[in-house]
Amino acid sequence: MFEFGTFVVSILTFLVLFLIIRRFGFDKFNNVLEKRRQFVIDQLDEAERNRLAAEQHLNEQKQLLEAARQQAHELIETARQRADEQAREIVRTAQDEAQKLLEANRELIERERAEAMNTVLTAVSALTVDLSEKLLRRHSGDVEHQAMIAEAEAQLGELVC
Amino acid sequence: MPAFPYLFYNTFFPINITTIAMMLLSGLIVVVVMRLATRSLDVRRPGRWQNFFEWAIEFAGGMARDTMPSERIVRTILPLAFTMLIFLFVANWLGVVATVSIKTSTPVPWLGLTAARLAQAHGEVPLFDSPTANMSMTLSFAFMVWLMSHAQGLKTPRRYFRHYLLNPMAVIEEITTPLTHGMRLFGNIFAGEALIGVLVGAPLMYLPLTVPLLLVWLFYSAFVSTIQAYVFTILMTLYVGQKAYSESLSHH
Repeated sequence: MFEFGTFVVSILTFLVLFLIIRRFGFDKFNNVLEKRRQFVIDQLDEAERNRLAAEQHLNEQKQLLEAARQQAHELIETARQRADEQAREIVRTAQDEAQKLLEANRELIERERAEAMNTVLTAVSALTVDLSEKLLRRHSGDVEHQAMIAEAEAQLGELVC
Repeated sequence: MPAFPYLFYNTFFPINITTIAMMLLSGLIVVVVMRLATRSLDVRRPGRWQNFFEWAIEFAGGMARDTMPSERIVRTILPLAFTMLIFLFVANWLGVVATVSIKTSTPVPWLGLTAARLAQAHGEVPLFDSPTANMSMTLSFAFMVWLMSHAQGLKTPRRYFRHYLLNPMAVIEEITTPLTHGMRLFGNIFAGEALIGVLVGAPLMYLPLTVPLLLVWLFYSAFVSTIQAYVFTILMTLYVGQKAYSESLSHH
């Protein structure tokens, strides 16, 4: 059997309960849910931002590294070239110096040989003159003798020079 | 029929005191448990009760999303769907947990407990059962839903009235829908309690038979109580959603 009073009072009771439950229960839970949702969204956004920043950073670092590597390569290359040049320079200088030394020594030897030759020639001519004098003094006079010496000296001079 | 205590029994406005009191008790239980949960709300580490209520909100939201055309109207209906779900859940379960009656032969005229009614009910006055085992109460809920759905429909009067012009039989549906909506809940809960009452009240010599039957029926009633809270709420969102022409226009 239908009870009109129960019907109406049930509606009123439920409406009051609904308002209370909504005000002191639902709204709070929903608030937390909403906050959490927002929090998760924020976190995801931030993670995404961080990821992008990290990627950019990484790219920058890679570029820097590449540049540094290239620079190092260039430096090494330059150094090697310079070292090669220097080495060649040193070798050339050394060769020149050796050449010069050789020249000088050769000259010295030549000069000393010439000097020795001169001395020998002088000695030989003096000896020859002495010998010839001794030989000629037995066969000719002083006049002839002087003429012969002069001739011999002239010939010797040609020989030496 | 047991003799429920009434206010204004012999007028056109009889109020079933037990039903209203049990409604208030259901509401009180919900509010107290909610208080437990809201005492330490935490966005990062929800407690057990907070988890439960958040789950209930998500669940009610899921039901509404399945049956309603737009997210906006889901947001609007969600507080009511949530409240109905947990309120009916508690209300349905009260009768499964316990039904309490007193036996009295003393008439109390201002509570509508006349001598004739007490004699007819063998002096049994129920003081504790499911509020949803009362037909007027469940029909009042169905009536609220019916009002809400038509209010929603009248937001777009042309669409609303054209529906009935094109299909006059739909008017019949408008009468049967709230009736079945309310009577379904009432019937399920009332039948559960009635059979429990019969099994408990059976003569002692049938005890070996009634105890296992009672256990089975208690489990079944608990199941039905839970399911009916769900069914009533999802039908509520469905009925309101069906008439939300304004939403379906802008979203489909």
